[in-house]
Amino acid sequence: MKLSLSWIRDYIDLPKDMDLKRLAYDLTMSTVEVEDAIDLSKQFDNMVVGVIQTIEQHPNADKLRVCKTDIGGGNIQDIVCGGSNLREGQRVAVALPGAFCRWHGEGEPVEIKKSKLRGVESYGMICASSEIGLFDLFPFEEEATILDLSDFDVPAGTPIADALDLNDIILEIDNKSMTNRPDLWGHYGIAREIAALFDLPLKEFKPFVTDASVTDHVNTDVEDTKACPRIITTEIDGLCVRPSPFLMQSRIWRVGMRPINALVDITNYVMLATGQPCHAYDSDNIAGHITVRHAAENEKLLLLNGKELAMDPTDLVISDDEGAVGLAGIMGGAKDSILPKTQSVLLEIANFNAKGIRKTALRYDNRTEASSRYEKAIDPERCAQALSLAMELFGELYPEMKVTGFFDNYPNKLQRAEIDVELSWLERRLGKRIANEDIAKKMGEMGYEVSFNGDMMHVVVPTWRSTGDVSIKADIMEEVARMYGYENFEAAPITTSFEGAINQLDKDLCRRIKEYLAIRCGMQEIFTYPWMEDTFVEAILQDTNGILALATPPSPSEKYIRSSLLPNLCKAVAKNERYFSEFSIFENAQVFRDADYTTPYDENEKLPSQCRHIAGAFVDSAKDITPLFRKSKGIIEEMARYTHMEELTLKQAEKPVWADNVVWLNIFLGEEKVGNLALLNKKASMACGIKNLNVMLFELDMDALVPYRSRTNRFEHLPEFPMTEYDASMLFEDSVKWEDISRTILSSHDNLLHGASFVDEYRGKQIPAGMKSVTMRLAIGSLEKTLTSEEIENCANAVLKRLSKRFGAALRTK
Amino acid sequence: MKEKLNALLLEGKEKIASVKNEVELQDVKALLLGKQSPLTEMLKELPKLDVSLRPEMGKAVNQVKSQLTALIDERRSELKMKASEVSADFDISVPGIRPLSGGLHPITQMCYDLNDAFRSMGFEVFEEDDITSELYGFDKLNFPPDHPARESMDTYWIEGHENGHGGDRLCLRPHLTGGSVRYLQTHKPPYRFVYPGHVYRNETTDARHERAFFQYEALIVDKDFTFASGKVMIKSILSKVFGRDVPVRMRAGFFPFVEPGFEIDMGCLVCGGKGCSVCKNVGWIEVMPGGTPHPNVLRAAGLDPDEYTGFYVNIGLDRLVMMRYGVDDVRLFHSADLRFLNQFR
Repeated sequence: MKLSLSWIRDYIDLPKDMDLKRLAYDLTMSTVEVEDAIDLSKQFDNMVVGVIQTIEQHPNADKLRVCKTDIGGGNIQDIVCGGSNLREGQRVAVALPGAFCRWHGEGEPVEIKKSKLRGVESYGMICASSEIGLFDLFPFEEEATILDLSDFDVPAGTPIADALDLNDIILEIDNKSMTNRPDLWGHYGIAREIAALFDLPLKEFKPFVTDASVTDHVNTDVEDTKACPRIITTEIDGLCVRPSPFLMQSRIWRVGMRPINALVDITNYVMLATGQPCHAYDSDNIAGHITVRHAAENEKLLLLNGKELAMDPTDLVISDDEGAVGLAGIMGGAKDSILPKTQSVLLEIANFNAKGIRKTALRYDNRTEASSRYEKAIDPERCAQALSLAMELFGELYPEMKVTGFFDNYPNKLQRAEIDVELSWLERRLGKRIANEDIAKKMGEMGYEVSFNGDMMHVVVPTWRSTGDVSIKADIMEEVARMYGYENFEAAPITTSFEGAINQLDKDLCRRIKEYLAIRCGMQEIFTYPWMEDTFVEAILQDTNGILALATPPSPSEKYIRSSLLPNLCKAVAKNERYFSEFSIFENAQVFRDADYTTPYDENEKLPSQCRHIAGAFVDSAKDITPLFRKSKGIIEEMARYTHMEELTLKQAEKPVWADNVVWLNIFLGEEKVGNLALLNKKASMACGIKNLNVMLFELDMDALVPYRSRTNRFEHLPEFPMTEYDASMLFEDSVKWEDISRTILSSHDNLLHGASFVDEYRGKQIPAGMKSVTMRLAIGSLEKTLTSEEIENCANAVLKRLSKRFGAALRTK
Repeated sequence: MKEKLNALLLEGKEKIASVKNEVELQDVKALLLGKQSPLTEMLKELPKLDVSLRPEMGKAVNQVKSQLTALIDERRSELKMKASEVSADFDISVPGIRPLSGGLHPITQMCYDLNDAFRSMGFEVFEEDDITSELYGFDKLNFPPDHPARESMDTYWIEGHENGHGGDRLCLRPHLTGGSVRYLQTHKPPYRFVYPGHVYRNETTDARHERAFFQYEALIVDKDFTFASGKVMIKSILSKVFGRDVPVRMRAGFFPFVEPGFEIDMGCLVCGGKGCSVCKNVGWIEVMPGGTPHPNVLRAAGLDPDEYTGFYVNIGLDRLVMMRYGVDDVRLFHSADLRFLNQFR
């Protein structure tokens, strides 16, 4: 919202030398965020009123004239101008060299320089209103119309800002910071706040009194007093449509609205001053009397902006005997508003329920200056204030006007909120004792009535804060604290009692797993969105049963929210393929299912199944997938050891739909299946748009994992006698699995054999087709003595013999 | 003869000292002590000498011989100590082999940094579900029944659950604060916890706006806590993030779930508070909302607001990480683009 400082000065006597920075700062700290304070006159720097002395035809251009122009103090300069309305003796706006103007009112402002135009020197420019940002104040229709300032009786050389009285500061307030303060949506409200901040007296509006009777036109009928607690109707005669005084126009324009004509400008001016919207109807057009009622189903209303609405019964309308004349609190109808020939006005100043106005404005996508104020919940008392100002302005602008009818329909007066606050409580919460007199003074300046009785402070809230804004003692504490100044409360230490160390095993485990994958295993963590693209859902999950969806998804093809992390992970793989051919990524996030609804916190709240998963992708472009498989398998196998949790095991039980037919494993924790590790099959991979990469995927249910309460590593005595590593390679048929080989090796219960590990397998040139060479390492030793080479040899030979017998394997090398 | 021996010794010393490696030393040894060496020649000549001179001369020659042998041995071990196994052409400018190149997401890194800082102050870490309901997203947070945020399309409501009320109306959480109430309900006061997590808003995205972003909430609830103590929490966060003390100010702000509410600003680190384009010339940058939990929020958690109070802050980590690293597009965080993520170690 824009505010004019000179307008605010109508209501408070700000010192002439008021430090603007200080004002903006204090308002920001205590009340609302002042985003900017703009010196309005700055944009008129180097612009003066010039008086045209003589006009001559430009020697080289038909459309241009050379104007000898007095720019002050008898300084007469030649200015080349193409204006169509130039005349001698005319007062014009001259942009001198150094001024910034928009050429023909368009584009960014450019600096005016002394220059030659078609061979004739021109000292600056005679401007059109649009070229100096004043089009809304001085509109014109024909092109090349220059701004005629002859009505402004000032000598040549007067700066434009002085001539038009535009020496003002415009405060820009962040609207977001005042949504809860309906009282601040007008100059008077902000003036009241500044008055309290700087201990200045606030001027009051003179109440309006009239002996006009309740005529038929003003005799309002309100169907629903909750929707419309108050409506004041005033009928005024003896008016006409003409422009409002320049100052009024100028103020309306300064804060971002457009002057229209005096009758409309008065209503806008009143709203900008008091925050109370009002509307003027052409009284002669009103048939019968005004009713405030809900619209009929599908009732039509043509608005001022030309839009035709088909309303419904939740909309509130202002209606005469013939039908709706305005959409309450939002916009007047086209038919009965101010017309060029209007002579008498029916002025409506009403209070409407905030929620209804917002709903209607939202439904028709028609938020107006009026509706955005009503939405904040204005107090009905403000209608009277608006009426005072409006009638004062009508009186000023139309001294011959007559009030011919008046009715204030206000059946239920607003109750002021009353709050009791214990001073001891206030002191505890503030960490400071503030003297009663100081509280009373500041609160008084903001309109509160405060009285004390021992430890109790009784506060009566002003009407303009009683529509929900201030209702509990915490609100009072805030008022006291912000007026005292938040900066005047020093940071206080946090005192606390120590009851024990924080021990959160599940959080620690999650972090250890992520750090294990990232730091020890070289994977990169990624974040993706919770929604999945249909392509990847189809490719990976293949079935949308039980998957939750968004009512208003970010795009039509991103409706489903993840039941698995894999679709988004595959999308990330596809995306990165362009730049990388070998990488590994993982993500840790929640997955959801339309199932297993529980009420973990409140019996009225049913939440769907939500589990924390961790999933990863290992990617390379090698021909042989063995290294990629072994790497990813090793990372899962070793995870438990490095992250201190219960052991995971891998076996085949149920193939994931997206997995390759051969290369897949399920991850188990005891008997419970907690995840999968598998190669993405070719079909799914292609559907994901992955071109040349092998993708090993894993996904693990993090919530199922069981952290150890403490580290579980065991100490083992160092062997007293040496342990020998005995390597051997044997030829096996291709189909023989290491799992079976290792089981066969260890089946002997030989005390000297302490283990067997896989070293390598090889298929290729030296190996017959259909066979593979497996290199294994046996650990042989005794706890009682150092073995002789013969004893070692015997132990190993027994193993190799067993393998030959079981698999028909032949020894290759030793 | 003696003079000749002395000359041989001197010459030998020089030669031994001047060799540069063991190969040269071997040559020098052959030259000085080999079969054709002057010393060996002299030994061979000994029998020709007068008997009375023989013992003395023999001794002298052998003395020189053993002296030279000792010098050679000494020189050899000296050279051994200095020598490298590797050719002098070895290229030490070849780059090292990088260790594994993984990493945590920059926001996770920041989150863990903050968790560590808060844990050191006795805060717990709380995490909670992404799908919540209107009951916890709005009702229990003192959002009035007609608050626009409930009606608007800002929230991602779940299909089939978007038209219910309260606990039946489900959405992706639009903020974390509702989840805090869950913590309050299930734990015993006093409370000190942080609550990191993703939140979701249905927005049009651009370089500064995202649909999914990461919030970090910290909450203390205790008896007789003054809002001025909240500054300690705020300072802890910012100094952890930026590695130095950051000026902080609290100013009036409004949020339904706090009373009083604050906008919390930090001094602009770009201009040091003098005013620049980053801070729109005010010297301060808005970084987080905060305040004392609204009595209705405490009541919703089953606490007596006359007895308990506290302080809450909620900080957008995306924005802080952007400020810390100078990232200029918030959408990069959810891009899964490794060219971006690889930069954070």
